Amino acid sequence: MYKYDHIDQTLVDQRVAQFRDQVARRLNGTLAEEEFRPLRLQNGLYHQRHAYMLRVAIPYGLFSSNQLRTLANISEKYDRGYGHFTTRQNIQFNWITLEDTPNILADLAKVEMHAIQTSGNCIRNITSDAFAGVAGDEYVDPRPICELLRQWSTLHPEFAHLPRKFKFAVNGAKEDRTVLLCHDVGIELKKSIDLNNGELTNGLTADIYAGGGMGRTPILGSLIKQGLPWQLLPSYLTALLRVYNRFGRRDNIYKARIKILVKALGPEEFARQVEGEWLHIQNGDDNFTKAEWDRVAKHFTKPAYQTLPTLTNAQVLASATATEKIAFARWIERNVKPHQVPGYASVILSLKPHGTVAPGDATTAQMNAIANLADQYSFGELRVTHEQNLVLADVEQAKLFELWQAAKQQHVALPNVGLLTDIIACPGGDFCSLANAKSLPIAKAIQERFDDLDYLFDLGDVSLNISGCINSCGHHHVGNIGVLGVDKDGEEWYQITLGGEQGNDASIGKVIGPSFYADEIPDVISNVINTYVSHRSEDESFIQAYRRLGVTPFKEAAYQNKNNAEKSLGART
Amino acid sequence: MSSQQQILHFPLGGKISLVPNAWQVWSGQEDATNSSLPDLDHGSHKVLVPFSWWIANHQNPDVLAKAKTGQMGVWFATDDDVLKHADLIEEGKQYWPLVAAHFPIFRDGRSFSTAAILRDRLGWKKEIRMIGDVLIDQLLQGARVGFDSFELRQDQDLAVAQKQFDLFSVTTQNSWRAKRTLMSEL
Repeated sequence: MYKYDHIDQTLVDQRVAQFRDQVARRLNGTLAEEEFRPLRLQNGLYHQRHAYMLRVAIPYGLFSSNQLRTLANISEKYDRGYGHFTTRQNIQFNWITLEDTPNILADLAKVEMHAIQTSGNCIRNITSDAFAGVAGDEYVDPRPICELLRQWSTLHPEFAHLPRKFKFAVNGAKEDRTVLLCHDVGIELKKSIDLNNGELTNGLTADIYAGGGMGRTPILGSLIKQGLPWQLLPSYLTALLRVYNRFGRRDNIYKARIKILVKALGPEEFARQVEGEWLHIQNGDDNFTKAEWDRVAKHFTKPAYQTLPTLTNAQVLASATATEKIAFARWIERNVKPHQVPGYASVILSLKPHGTVAPGDATTAQMNAIANLADQYSFGELRVTHEQNLVLADVEQAKLFELWQAAKQQHVALPNVGLLTDIIACPGGDFCSLANAKSLPIAKAIQERFDDLDYLFDLGDVSLNISGCINSCGHHHVGNIGVLGVDKDGEEWYQITLGGEQGNDASIGKVIGPSFYADEIPDVISNVINTYVSHRSEDESFIQAYRRLGVTPFKEAAYQNKNNAEKSLGART
Repeated sequence: MSSQQQILHFPLGGKISLVPNAWQVWSGQEDATNSSLPDLDHGSHKVLVPFSWWIANHQNPDVLAKAKTGQMGVWFATDDDVLKHADLIEEGKQYWPLVAAHFPIFRDGRSFSTAAILRDRLGWKKEIRMIGDVLIDQLLQGARVGFDSFELRQDQDLAVAQKQFDLFSVTTQNSWRAKRTLMSEL
């Protein structure tokens, strides 16, 4: 993985010093809270319901066992013994004091980590495929581009006070695992064999999608540029951000994202304005060079794989004892993914145990233990997925059984990846001061309701995402089933959307009707799921059935209890 | 009408210093339809007029006469489209000793792009001043996109402000002041 050079390290160290001074000015009263707020946000520090929350970047989701140990140490030393992995490849600590923050950042800097631009109206942490470099369906390893863009966007002076936050995702695989079209800018990397294979282009180009987003107005991004040679990304993105910085709305926070500008102008007109600006700057020396590519790309070479035979499933399962075979097979089916290299596989450690903690939470002890697993089984590297699970990307197939047993001891081996209880959820009203409603108790109640693995396996792939408010940090718009917390006259209600999907067939879910009380949600989900079970064709997934049947049968089922209750209420009056 | 006694001056390739402020910023709002300039402390100050006022009045012979003496510059509001009026800015190069870009509130970053465009695309070589709600922690960003003088908000500590410009010895993207740092240069 990428190693900081002297420049990266100096920059991060000096950023710590800058923030230390800003905190000192805040504490001595010379910097007002209102004016400190954007400064702390640009360094990942929120003020939440109970305390400060610090969001630390895990750029494009890749980190080392040593970095995880530092995160574990921070969770123990400065927090309450756990951390929360987010939907954007960050980790959050919920119980931080302002006074400690500079020291935490200094600890992070020692292991080449930071919290720069993990919040605020600036270019945020750049996210990518958690399986970058190992996925079987990858055509371009996106990590060098991600790292180059991380550096380019870090402390960019012109785009430090954009109308609103700005999120990039980068994908280089056939299947999109980045929710690309729900980002302000989605960068899809391609290898173009037709292109002149010159020294600079490498045959690598980018398609640019702009104006996607979730939030109050969920929109999928529009393709505004095709075949952009990779080295021109800085000038093109400067042009794009410049148009947004100048003309994005600033009068209404809910209309300030780039998606509103792209929608108002139309994607063609937006693209034309970007081209107009780009024309004047595209040949500038902002663009990346071959030397920069080489400097960065050399860190993303393959680890020292052994020459191993590819094992069949039966061979892998043979290592399990008879009593454990079924459970191990389930884990292999759900939590183990194919790898580019023979004899290797990628393993997803589930941070979604049923009904205990928040989705994406890991304790200090778990983080330390998982760091050891990474050292032992996966070249000391880890990834975090936007579904809030952790990945050991390079595990020998022959060691899967051993790893599974070790993972079980840490309670991170539940075979529920991609199943109904692999819930994506934001921290919600328990922590977040923006939230209208709690997310975590809903996730817990659903996991408790669907705690039968046989049943979950029978249901197969279905995503359920929960956001505690319309900011949509829980990605409810792209969940097959989405749950959104809403506030009605000071009470917490939950709106259900159906039909959302991430990936290549991304779609935005539709609201099915009036909201429910929290305690109604498990029944509503059961009714929706039962409708799928009774209507599905053979091998038809939830989303396929939904697309075939339309919303009506699901909607009727969702409101069935409510309607019955109203009828009986009506009968009594 | 507003002006601070002192401004920070940080020319390209030069040193940061506090200098007396010779320019007043005229809001133009006293009488938007009036094409005559305000009485500028009996002429002791030079004046920065709103760019929109310049657009409306630059053909007035009195205005042009004053501009030709080097006593007038313009300031850009956040919604002034400098690209749309590139021709006027080109013409202004012969009159205005400096221009300014306004920050109505510190967190409005539009004027960063205004300065970048003036430098990158419109070839403005003379002074660009940051005016309005200018706070200590915006100075470095401003200095990097193209500003070289800074009229800070009244309550800002100028001693602290002067320390903001050399917090970083490296950069990872090009700016008006410096190209991104290369390992070979260290």
